[in-house]
Amino acid sequence: MLDAIDKQLLKAVADLEQIPQGAYNIRKNGQLESRKVTANINIVANARKSGIDITVAPGTVNESIHIPVILNKANLLDIVENRFFIGENSDVTIVAGCGIHCGSDKPEGHAGIHEFYLEKGSRIRYVEKHYAAGPGSGKRTLNPVTKVYLAENAHVEMDLVQIGGVDKAERKNEAELGPGSSMLITEKVMTDGKQRAVSNNKIILRGKGSRAELISRSVIKGSSKQDFFGSIDAYAQSYGHLECDAIIMDKGTNETVPALRSFHPDAELTHEAAIGKIANAQLMKLMSLGLEYDEAVSRIIQGFLQ
Amino acid sequence: MLTIKDLVYSVSELKDDGTEKRKEIIRGVDFTFVQGKFYAVTGPNGSGKTTLSKLIMGIYKPDSGRIVFDGQELTGLSISERARLGIAFSFQHPARFKGMSFRSLLGIAAGTDDEKVLHRILLRVGLCSFDFLDKEVGSKLSGGEIKKVELATTIARNPRLAIFDEPDTGIDLWTIGPMVELLQKEQHENGTTTIVISHNEKFLRAADEVILLKNGKVAHVGSFDNTLPMLKDIDLCSWGEHCLEETDARCYR
Ligand SMILES: Nc1ncnc2c1ncn2[C@@H]1O[C@H](COP(=O)(O)OP(=O)(O)O)[C@@H](O)[C@H]1O
Ligand SMILES: [Mg+2]
Repeated sequence: MLDAIDKQLLKAVADLEQIPQGAYNIRKNGQLESRKVTANINIVANARKSGIDITVAPGTVNESIHIPVILNKANLLDIVENRFFIGENSDVTIVAGCGIHCGSDKPEGHAGIHEFYLEKGSRIRYVEKHYAAGPGSGKRTLNPVTKVYLAENAHVEMDLVQIGGVDKAERKNEAELGPGSSMLITEKVMTDGKQRAVSNNKIILRGKGSRAELISRSVIKGSSKQDFFGSIDAYAQSYGHLECDAIIMDKGTNETVPALRSFHPDAELTHEAAIGKIANAQLMKLMSLGLEYDEAVSRIIQGFLQ
Repeated sequence: MLTIKDLVYSVSELKDDGTEKRKEIIRGVDFTFVQGKFYAVTGPNGSGKTTLSKLIMGIYKPDSGRIVFDGQELTGLSISERARLGIAFSFQHPARFKGMSFRSLLGIAAGTDDEKVLHRILLRVGLCSFDFLDKEVGSKLSGGEIKKVELATTIARNPRLAIFDEPDTGIDLWTIGPMVELLQKEQHENGTTTIVISHNEKFLRAADEVILLKNGKVAHVGSFDNTLPMLKDIDLCSWGEHCLEETDARCYR
């Protein structure tokens, strides 16, 4: 059964107020809580570390899959390896996410390892939110991994969000793009206090005409630290762009290391990176529209992470 | 409605020998703006036009002098407080906001998210495409677009005093006429005291009074016609210092 805290976590990570439409798999404290499959989307347990295999039939469109994970048990470090097989020409939305509620001084954590195999012409939108809360002082850790393999003309859009409360996060994103395929990754992370977040990204443009864009936005409050490492390697006529922006507040620190490598003369790779405080001109503008200083700061951050 | 008295503003400047000295940018400005009138402020680059308007908005603090708005002394009031009294300012170089939509920015300016109200503001400022609301006020907007966004947020405040710092730069030549008409309409319908900083003849002609600022001081006040001869004399080139000192100077304009 899901209690009030579980429901609150589900709301935060998956925008779920009720049992979702379409296929779902809800995991609580390392166990299956509930699952539903549809005519086109199958979910079965796999042999790898109690994960699941999700298979989307070719041509499936306008369907969604929710796979939230919630944790509220001390000393539990839950690891799952999930695989997604997305059939040709299908178009689905996948909502993942992990919510931790920590009530004690014992650590809790989750590592979701997600592999995506996109067949020709398939499209997915993948939304992953991470959130931790609760009165306990136990360390909350989230170490997500995504590995994406795109066949010809496949397309993936990934929205990766860490909302708050996570003490330590180490993310790894890897992608390999086939001919004509494309991906857009948007990562937004806010840290505070003594939190630490690292994001490692490796994108390989393998196929002709492939395109990848990775946008990272960080807000670093308190004395927290966020680091971003991103690389795009091009082996074909292709396009890649990295954009990393970090707003430092208080005493936060940041390392941003973008890397571009071209192994093909027709590859076009670009990056933009900026680290800094909120621009004074932005604050002045919002204050001249009647906002107080603090309101102006919060509206700027809200827009930046929108 | 707005009285400026003996206003002085200086910044510290580093000299070649490493010592600091004060440089006066506004050097004793006195002027009274009358409720509901349309003013144009012009003058060479670097004469202090932007600095003067930022002093009125509270973005800079004067060394000495007073600014009185509707009988209230502004010294000591923050930017936000001045905004809430009804002063609005369109920046010459508007800020861009990564991730923020025009809808959000306009909503902050208008104090509401109500779609109908925002649409009415767009129509009022001649932005006929409502899709524009969903654009990011980021680096992708053109110079002309960001100036229109800036103008819209100023008008959305329904200000008692509106200051526009070079609203026409980056705007297509043929949309300057409509922009002048728009600001005049706001002035007439809402009694907005309007100050436009510009070099453009269209704005200068539209003004009840033209104020010529030179070297941080008001050099002349008058109608367009009686200011025109003075304007022909002034050098709108900011490289003047460089040219005048060199005997064999090229013109950098
Ligand atoms: N913060 C500052 N520090 C030093 N000099 C400044 C500063 N702001 C403005 N100035 C100088 O003050 C003068 C007036 O600038 P400004 O008000 O921007 O002129 P205008 O808007 O008339 O072109 C210029 O010479 C400019 O270089
Ligand atoms: Mg100026």
